[in-house]
Amino acid sequence: MKAYEFHFIEIWKALPYLTEGAALTIGISFLAMLLGLVVGLALALTSQGSLRVGRWAVSAYVEIFRNTPLLIQIFFIYFGLPLLLVKLPAFASGLLALTLYSAAYNAEVFRAGLEAVPRGQREAARSTGLTAWQEARHVIVPQAVRISFPALGNNLVSLVKNSSLVSAIGMVELMFVANDISFNNFRSFEVYGAAVVYYMIIILVLSRGLALVERRLQKALA
Amino acid sequence: MPTDRRWFSRVLALAALVALAGALLLPPAGETQSTLGEIKKRDKMIVGVKTDFPPFGSVDASGKNIGFDIDVAYELGKAMLGDPRKVELVSVTSGNRIPYLQSGKIDIIVATVTINDERKKVVEFSEPYFLSGALILVPKASPINDVKDLNGKKVAIIQGAITDADLAELAPQATRLKYGKVTEAVLAVKAGHADAFVQDDILILKLAKENPDMRAAGKPFYPRGYGIAVRKGDVEFINWVNAQLKRMRADGTYERIWKKHLAEFEASLVKP
Repeated sequence: MKAYEFHFIEIWKALPYLTEGAALTIGISFLAMLLGLVVGLALALTSQGSLRVGRWAVSAYVEIFRNTPLLIQIFFIYFGLPLLLVKLPAFASGLLALTLYSAAYNAEVFRAGLEAVPRGQREAARSTGLTAWQEARHVIVPQAVRISFPALGNNLVSLVKNSSLVSAIGMVELMFVANDISFNNFRSFEVYGAAVVYYMIIILVLSRGLALVERRLQKALA
Repeated sequence: MPTDRRWFSRVLALAALVALAGALLLPPAGETQSTLGEIKKRDKMIVGVKTDFPPFGSVDASGKNIGFDIDVAYELGKAMLGDPRKVELVSVTSGNRIPYLQSGKIDIIVATVTINDERKKVVEFSEPYFLSGALILVPKASPINDVKDLNGKKVAIIQGAITDADLAELAPQATRLKYGKVTEAVLAVKAGHADAFVQDDILILKLAKENPDMRAAGKPFYPRGYGIAVRKGDVEFINWVNAQLKRMRADGTYERIWKKHLAEFEASLVKP
């Protein structure tokens, strides 16, 4: 086989388009993160609630979304749903799939966090006359979030990586752009290499940010 | 501080990655070696074919590869190794077929590769073995009847396919939605995400026949040849392929394969 000639200029030429893709990767991941955290927490609280139907529904949800490939979920929402129910454009489909998927994982982490809050805390909250909402809002959830935080961080990093799968429904994010460029200029090494560096930068910044937040949390709640 | 140390080690890892990449690229050692000898030594020919592109390369209900390109691949295998069963088929897409060839995953591409100048820079092409323009697949009731009608519409295309550039030129106001495989592009039209799908005429004709809710629109535009492709610089191998194509035309093999897969579209096609 012929030795590969490295063409650095190809990365340079690809950079604006790759940056566009990276921007969408960051955007959709960030939105899915926020929504996934909110939905995940809501699911976890429901799973701890007194309503049996709620508990059952949450565990069914979590099992379905954790035990099926994300790619299938993306295709189901984008290609499948329009035939029966509703047509969501690519961005909405991708965002929905990423949110639902990461919410299932977050729900499990939050649930573990909620369960790890000592019983005495609940009893103390109850005995000082807090309502159920106040108890959750001021006593239980803050502690659960702190306990859950490191594991949540892992989920968020996975989410950024998983966001590459929405390239399959034509979302012009980093993975899609890398394919698009290398399928036309055939410089796979340079282009995918540049995309790898982009992903690494995004995730390094994210985990650095998470580490900062984690330290703040420990201090604030210590 | 432990966090800082972690940060430092990450930067170090990144630097190591860059250094590794550099090391991999340094010495341009070795000569271009003919794949011909490699195939004979291995006693197996690895061919990249389509699985989503009837009637050139698709998979039947029993999971068997079928199509024009598949039969050509078996012919080549039989000619070189004496047995078509010594051909190993690898499923490729318009996007990944050339990277597969470049990275040595396959020996040769027989997968509806349209010959163009950009691709000639990175692979060796055989003489054209089929001539194809592009057509438009639309839902039955669509008002689209010509390439010009695609302006302002959402048009599904295949990532890495030549229609991407063609459409940018012929219908610059069309929004191009790119998918990895033909099946996904068709699903996108059926689901209403795209108003039309533009691809090679022969594929669109076949799809229109298979999907009664759709039709082929327009006249084939930009007819160009399909070529078999091998790695850049492998002149010995491509000469062998050309000789085989010539032989297949002379002894009626090509005619037989054409009749088998393309007879139903005879009227709308150009024979090269």
